[in-house]
Amino acid sequence: MWCRQLLPLLALLSPALAGVQELWWNVTYVQNANPDGLFERRVIGVNGTWPPPPIEVSTNDSLLVHVTNNIDQLATLHHHGMYFNSTSWMDGAMGVSQCGIPPGQTFDYVVPINTSGQVGTYWAHGHSNGIYVDGLRAPLLLHSPNETYGADYDAEFTISMSDWYHQEQPALSKAFINIANPGGAEPIPNSALVYFSQNGSYLPPIPGSSPSPVTSAVGFNENATLPFEPGKTYRLRIINLGAFAGFYFWIDGHDMRIIEADGTDIQEQPVDMLSVSVAQRYSVLVTARNDTSSNWAIHANMDTTMFDKVPSNINPNVTSSITYSTSSNLTILSPVSSYTTTNDSALVPIDIEPAIPPTNTIQLAFNFQTMNDGTNHAYINDVVYNPPVVPAIMSALSLGENATSQVAYGPYSFVINYGDVIDLVVQNGDTGKHPFHLHGYKMQIMNRATQYNSSDPSLNPPLIEGQANPMRRDTVAITGGGSVTLRFVANNPGAWIFHCHVEWHLESGLAVQFITAPLLIQEQAQGRVPAFMFEQCSAIGVPTSGNAAGHASATDLSGLPLGPWFQELGWLAKGIWAMAGCVLTTVIGILTVVWYSAMGGTISEEEIEEQVLQRIEAKKRKGKFFGLLKKKT
Amino acid sequence: MAAQNLFSVSIFFIVFRESLEAVIIVSVLLGLVEQIVHGDTEQFSAPQITEQYQPANNNGEITTPGEEESDATIKRRLIRKLRMQVFAGAGIGLLVSFALGAAFIAVWFTKASDLWLKAENLWEGIFELIASLMIFVMGITMLKLDRAKAKWRVKLQRAFSEQHVDSGVRTGKWVLFILPMITVLREGIEAVVFVGGVALGQPAKSIPIAAIVGLACGLICGYFIYQFASRSTLTIFLIVMTNLILLIGAGLFSKAVWSFQENAFNDLLGADVDDSGGNGPGSYNVLGSVWHLDCCNPETDLSWGIFNAILGWTNSATQGSVLSYVFYWLMVVVALVRMKFKEGRTKLLWLESAAGTRRRLASEKQAEDTADEKGSHNLPLSATESPVISEALPTEITQ
Repeated sequence: MWCRQLLPLLALLSPALAGVQELWWNVTYVQNANPDGLFERRVIGVNGTWPPPPIEVSTNDSLLVHVTNNIDQLATLHHHGMYFNSTSWMDGAMGVSQCGIPPGQTFDYVVPINTSGQVGTYWAHGHSNGIYVDGLRAPLLLHSPNETYGADYDAEFTISMSDWYHQEQPALSKAFINIANPGGAEPIPNSALVYFSQNGSYLPPIPGSSPSPVTSAVGFNENATLPFEPGKTYRLRIINLGAFAGFYFWIDGHDMRIIEADGTDIQEQPVDMLSVSVAQRYSVLVTARNDTSSNWAIHANMDTTMFDKVPSNINPNVTSSITYSTSSNLTILSPVSSYTTTNDSALVPIDIEPAIPPTNTIQLAFNFQTMNDGTNHAYINDVVYNPPVVPAIMSALSLGENATSQVAYGPYSFVINYGDVIDLVVQNGDTGKHPFHLHGYKMQIMNRATQYNSSDPSLNPPLIEGQANPMRRDTVAITGGGSVTLRFVANNPGAWIFHCHVEWHLESGLAVQFITAPLLIQEQAQGRVPAFMFEQCSAIGVPTSGNAAGHASATDLSGLPLGPWFQELGWLAKGIWAMAGCVLTTVIGILTVVWYSAMGGTISEEEIEEQVLQRIEAKKRKGKFFGLLKKKT
Repeated sequence: MAAQNLFSVSIFFIVFRESLEAVIIVSVLLGLVEQIVHGDTEQFSAPQITEQYQPANNNGEITTPGEEESDATIKRRLIRKLRMQVFAGAGIGLLVSFALGAAFIAVWFTKASDLWLKAENLWEGIFELIASLMIFVMGITMLKLDRAKAKWRVKLQRAFSEQHVDSGVRTGKWVLFILPMITVLREGIEAVVFVGGVALGQPAKSIPIAAIVGLACGLICGYFIYQFASRSTLTIFLIVMTNLILLIGAGLFSKAVWSFQENAFNDLLGADVDDSGGNGPGSYNVLGSVWHLDCCNPETDLSWGIFNAILGWTNSATQGSVLSYVFYWLMVVVALVRMKFKEGRTKLLWLESAAGTRRRLASEKQAEDTADEKGSHNLPLSATESPVISEALPTEITQ
C-alpha cells in the first residue's frame, strides 16, 4: 500500500511544476441499472454509480487513477489512445501490460498526459476480459489551454454512444465462443445508449421524464437532450464506447464539420453523417440555428450489417434531441435513404507529419473459422491470440538478453526495434468491418484496398510513398474483404497489443502484440515499475518472469496456452481405419450371405415340401381339435 | 438431387422383391393348372394328399380313353380357361394392392407430411430407422426365396384340395381365381407396407417410377428365372439381390443414426442453424466426427447422392454413423448364422440344433433305406414309409 501514497509524490517530483489530477475509482457492481428503460441489470460502475464519471484533464496535468477492484473478477483500466511514454505497464491491457487487479486490490494508473503531447477526445475502459461491456467505460478528454479550434466554438458537449446488452458479458462470451455457435455469430445488442456530458458530469434527463432510479441523474436516449442557444457554435465530441456495433450519427437540421478524430486535430471538413466504429472518436463543430421554433433530433443508428440478424424486438436506432426551447416541438426528419461511411483517409491533420519510408512490413491476414474444438475463433496469420501466461511486458523486463527473441513472447508476437518504421498491412478476410486499435501509438493510414486480393488497381491500389501528411489515428476500421496499410514509427518502447476493438473478436483471438525495443524497456524501467504489479500477479498465481510460458528461456514455450487450431479435413488416420472397418464388416456380411445360401446344408425340394406339409398338418391338427371340441359341445 | 427425388432405390428393390415372389406364386399356379388338367395329380401318392384330392381325381376320371383328340382340345381349352382365371385373380389382386398403396401414399403425403417439416432430421432418422429394419427382415428372408417354389406348390395344392373338401364342387370352379388373387393380394399388401415404411421419409415423387420399374424388373426376372433357370441360378441371383438390399439397409441404418445426431446438433445450434449446412468447418459437429471431407456431400451433389442411396455414403461420418453401419452388418451375420443353425444346415462348433439332428437322422435313414432298397427293391415300402415326399420318386414310379 505504500506505493499508493508514494506514487503521486514521485509524479509530482519528476517534471517541473506539472499538476496531478488524482482520481479514486472504486470499481463496483451497481444493481438494477436500467439505462434503456427496457431491462434492469447489474452493471459495473465506479464508486457505486453508473455510468462512471467522465474524466477531463488539462494537458498541463498528469492523471493518476487509483483503481480499486471491488468486483468478483479481475479488473484493469486502460486509457485508450494514451502513449504512456515508455511506461507501457500502465497501459491496463490484461495479459500484455499487467496481470489484472485481483478483487480487493488497487492499481495506481499514472497517465503522463502532461508529457505525452496529446490532446483531444479519448476514453478509458476496462481491458480485462470484457468488463467494459458491462459498463466500466467513460470519456477521457484532454483539454489544452490553446486548443486548435478554441476560438471557433462557444461550448462543448460529449456524446457517448454504445450498444447495450441485457445479459452480462461473461455469459455472452460463453455463448459466443461455444460449440453451439460454430458460425461465430456475435451477441446481438438488445438496444443502444446515447448520453451526454459536459465539464465532467453527465447531463440530466429531460424534465418530466421518468428515468429508472439507479441512473436517474443521467438522461439516456430520448430522455437525453443537448441545450443549444441560437447562433452559438458547439464542439460535440462523439465517442463510440460500445462492444460491437458501429454507429451512424447525424443531426437533423444541422451541419457538422469534423475537426478532430481520435485525438488528431484535423483541417475542418464538412460532413453530413459520421460513421463511428467501436472505440473511434470524432469532434465536430455544429452551429446552432437562429430560431428556437423547433427542437431537432439527434440520430445514432447502429450499423446492423455486422449483426447475424436483427431481431424484431430490438430498436437499433436511437433518437435524442437538441433543445432550443422546452416549449418547442421536436422535429424528426424522415429517415435517411442510405448511410455514408466517413472516409478518414481523406482527413488532414493540422500538425504535419510526413510519412517516412518503412523499414519493416508486417502482413497480418485475419479471418474467422470454426476450429478443431468446434468453436469459432479469429486468427491472424493462422494463429489464434491467447493471452500469454506471463504478460509480455514482464517477459521483456525479465528475460535479459533473451528479451529480443520474438519466439519468447509466443507465436502472436512481433519484436520491433526502436526507430523502425513499421508498415502493418492488415487484410480482412472476413465480410464484416473490423476496427483495429494499436495501443501506445497513432497509426498513419497509408493505403486502403476495398478488395485486397484483387488485381484491379481501383479496388487494390498500390501504396503511394512520400505522402506529405497522411491521416493518423489509433483505431482504424477495415472493411470486409479489404485491407489497410498502417504505418507507425516504433519510438515508444513497451509491449503493445494490436487488436480488433470489437470485444467479442478480441476474446476470440483477433489480436497480435508488438514488443518495441525490449532492451530499451529494461533500461527505462529501472526503478520505475511499481512493486504492486508483481504482487498482484503473485496474488492470482501468475508468474512474473520468464517467457510467455513462464520459463527462463528464449525458446521453451511448453505449457503456453495456444489454439484452437484449424480443423483437419479429409482422410485422416481415424477416418481411414473407420472406412476400412466398414468395408471389412460389409465383406464379412456379404460372405455370410453367400455362405448361408450357397455353401453346404442345402435343403432339397423334397425336404421343403415335407416341412411345409408338416407345418400345415400341425396347423390343421390344431384346427381339427378345436373343430372336434366345437362339435362335441 | 433431382434424380434422387425421382427414383428411390430402396423402393425399387422392395417392389422388385415382392413382385418376384408374386411371379413365383403365379408360375406355381400355372404349373398346377396343367397338372390338374392333365390328371398328374395322382403323383401325390402320400396318403393324406391322395385322400383329400379325390374330387380332383374324379374330375380326372371323366376322361375316358378313345376320345383322345377331343379330350386334348378340351384340355387345352380348360387350361386356357383356368390360366385366364389365374391371371385374372392375380391381376385383380395386384390392382387392389396398387389401390391400397396409392391410397396410403396419398393419405400420408397429403395429411401427414407436414409433420416433419420442422424437425426434418429427426423424422428422417425415424423413417430411415424403420426402413432399414424392414429391409433387414426382407433381405434376410429373401434368401429363402429359392425355396418358395416348392413351398408354394405344396401350399397351393393343399389349399386347392381343401377348397373342394370344405365347400363342395361349386366353389372349386373359382378356386383358381380366388387363390392367386388372395396370394397376390397378400404379397401386394406386404409390398405396400414395406414401400410405405420406406417411403415415409422420401418425397412422394420418388415412389411411382421406382415402384413401376421395380415391378417390371420383378416380373421380367421372375419370368426368366422360372422359364430358363435352375434353382442354383436363382440362388446366385438371390445372393446378389440380397447383398444389394442389405447394402442399402446398412446405409439407411447408418443414415438414421446420423440424422438423429444431426438433429441433436441442430437443436444445439438453435437459432444459428442457418449457419450450418454445406461442407467444411462449422457445418458439422467436430465432437465425434470420424471423417469430414470438404466435398462429396450427398445432400448437394447428385452423384454422391446416388452413392449415399446405395451405400450410405456421407462426407461427414460420425462415430455413431460408422458404428451403426458396422453393427448392421454384424446383425446380418448373427441373424444368418442363427437361421442356418436353426434350419439344421450347419453346426456351430460342436452344437447341433433340433432341426439339424432331425435332418441328420433323416438323411442317415435315407442312406440306410437306399442301401436296403438296393438290396430288396421294396418300392411301395419306401414310398409310404419315407416321410420325404420327393418329386423325383413319383416320376420314377410312373416310368
